[in-house]
Amino acid sequence: MQTLPLTEPVLLILLSLAGRPRHGYSILKDVERMSDGRVVLSTGTLYGALRRLLDDEWIERMEEKEGPRGRQAYRLTPNGRRKLQLEVARMKQLTRVASLRAVKES
Amino acid sequence: MRVIYSGLMRLYPAQYREQFGEEMAAVFEDLTSEHGAEKFLSRCAFFGREITGLMIGAARERMRVLFGDDLGLSLSTRRFFMRNEFRFPRTTAVLMTIILAGVAMAIKMGEDIAGSLPHDGGQVGPIHPVHPTLLGAIPIILVSFYAMGLACWAILFALRKSGFHRLANMSGERD
Repeated sequence: MQTLPLTEPVLLILLSLAGRPRHGYSILKDVERMSDGRVVLSTGTLYGALRRLLDDEWIERMEEKEGPRGRQAYRLTPNGRRKLQLEVARMKQLTRVASLRAVKES
Repeated sequence: MRVIYSGLMRLYPAQYREQFGEEMAAVFEDLTSEHGAEKFLSRCAFFGREITGLMIGAARERMRVLFGDDLGLSLSTRRFFMRNEFRFPRTTAVLMTIILAGVAMAIKMGEDIAGSLPHDGGQVGPIHPVHPTLLGAIPIILVSFYAMGLACWAILFALRKSGFHRLANMSGERD
């Protein structure tokens, strides 16, 4: 079961799917791009995370209209989007406090 | 490399392979062609990452099948990033130690009883009943330690330190 706070790979996967549905390879590349090459997922890690997100109904599978026939894409469910928004709000609050403290210290 | 990849895929549970096997292999194919033109070391890093990811993923899925999600997660690295409210309350550890002490004491007593019995060293003779008061002491010790543990827990519960209230609050927050 996914719980907040999310791990960085899971957060990046959800953010990748927030824009539009994507298939596995596209998610891997997008995660790498978003993190400036810092987070590079293996297929084992990616599909392990996707399996858990599917089980928790944060994402769902859909068949891609374009691309090879039968290739599966993934998209956020309303529940997944809500959880992502909660996590982003949590992080915003945390970074706000952190910035205030950091400024105060300096 | 593809052969090794498909070999390692067999480590996953069958249901998982049915659901994701083809897709994973297809993504791996795409990645392999992408890394094909790279330097030797980069390719090694890529293959190393893939093999490690597969092995860890397969172990995790196997654990999930055997023990369910909770244990799978608690045994994975996520355990070390758990928030305080998800950890065992300290009192649990104390109560478990008390009960363990009781069990250890009962075992020791059992060994003492066994040691005090006469041993001929030869043939096994007729079995004589052991003095009932000695054997009866073992369950009494166990029960008294359990009772002691229970009493401690009741006190901690009354002081709202047993962890029960914290868990109840968490469930309430989730609802």
